[in-house]
Amino acid sequence: MAGISIGPATNYVYACTRMRIRRSRLIPREDYLRMLNMSLPEITRFIGETYYRSEIDELGTSFSGINLVEVALSWNLAKEYQKILDLMFGELKHFTASYLRRWDIQNVVTILRGKTQGMHPDKIREVLVPAGRLDKVILDRLLVEESPERVVEMLKGEQIYPVLEQELPGAIETGSFAHLENELYKGYYAWLIADAMEGVKGRKEFLRYIELEIDIRNIQNLFRLQAGRVHDDVRELMIPGGSFPVEELQKLSEFEDRDEFIDALKRQVKAVPLLNALEVIRGKGHLRGIEIALTLVQLDQMGRMTKRYPFSVLPVLAYLEEKKYEVANLRALARGKEANLPGERLRGYLVM
Amino acid sequence: MTDVVMTLEMIQASQVGTKAIAAALAVGLTGFASAWAELTIGSAAVGATAENRDVFGMVLLLTVLPETIVIFGLVVALLLLF
Repeated sequence: MAGISIGPATNYVYACTRMRIRRSRLIPREDYLRMLNMSLPEITRFIGETYYRSEIDELGTSFSGINLVEVALSWNLAKEYQKILDLMFGELKHFTASYLRRWDIQNVVTILRGKTQGMHPDKIREVLVPAGRLDKVILDRLLVEESPERVVEMLKGEQIYPVLEQELPGAIETGSFAHLENELYKGYYAWLIADAMEGVKGRKEFLRYIELEIDIRNIQNLFRLQAGRVHDDVRELMIPGGSFPVEELQKLSEFEDRDEFIDALKRQVKAVPLLNALEVIRGKGHLRGIEIALTLVQLDQMGRMTKRYPFSVLPVLAYLEEKKYEVANLRALARGKEANLPGERLRGYLVM
Repeated sequence: MTDVVMTLEMIQASQVGTKAIAAALAVGLTGFASAWAELTIGSAAVGATAENRDVFGMVLLLTVLPETIVIFGLVVALLLLF
């Protein structure tokens, strides 16, 4: 593993301070509430007055309306993540790069889906976020390939290649990339755990974050399965490596009544914020509201862990996660306004 | 076995030597502590300035604050020696 520093922890102090300042600059809850009462051009102007200005100005001549907001947000996110990766060094860079690999999966699956449906490469490019290991140049090369098989062939040597090679024929045959996507993400979490196990300084904190993320994803998936009345063998859909064993999650998925399911889940959970969130969820009807409540628990827990380990990889990951949700919020706001959704309903889609 | 007899000169020389060692420790250890504190604060200061240039004056002040530790050490050393 190249580039691992063994010097003093000054790089942690430097990087974590920068991340803390960047976190403080993220759009606050009050601004989201104000944006709920704005129209799409007003939101675009509001975003253009923040750190999204350069992207809005740059893309203003090529795009307009909702497309301008969408592309500007994606560009900003990718640029911000790449900038952060540039200012990290040593083990922090290694962990951050590992975390950002999730964007490779998202981009590759988007390209494969687009290629299968015969979308124009320019249309696919608009929704890509080149924030991972596969940069703009590589993604452009993948976009010009004619078939999904060729796209996968081009990725030979990448970490995701074996899974893609194994799952692609089945995905094309069934016309659904869901199973392929699941397997890729399961592989991603397994790589993250393997990275965290390598004995590098700061790995314990990284492992804590991975466990938290896997737990929240698994609980969200259980709620989704519950809402879809799926009580079969769900072991394949669960991500191993969290604090709940997959067998335990399988048992939880067998409950038909939601209240019984929440009670059983509460018996397994130790973290107080998650217990409180589960109690709040009991009264929620919409799946989206449940997912957001759980996401907020994850962000809250990450905030707490950041305070407990102020000079670790956690402040970096907390910022990356919060930035991701900021972009998702702005996109939801813009899309919602475009579709003339009422403010109250739109509010239910925001992670704030 | 002969008894070791210390003369007045020897005792005085020993006292001067002990004072010198104590003064050296006072300056040396506080110097090390200042350096260690400035290392951490300096890293954070550079990070903060990289994000926001307006805080340069404030972080410069914060970076040099641990200098007071070594000044205390120096004062103690001077009091010991003179």
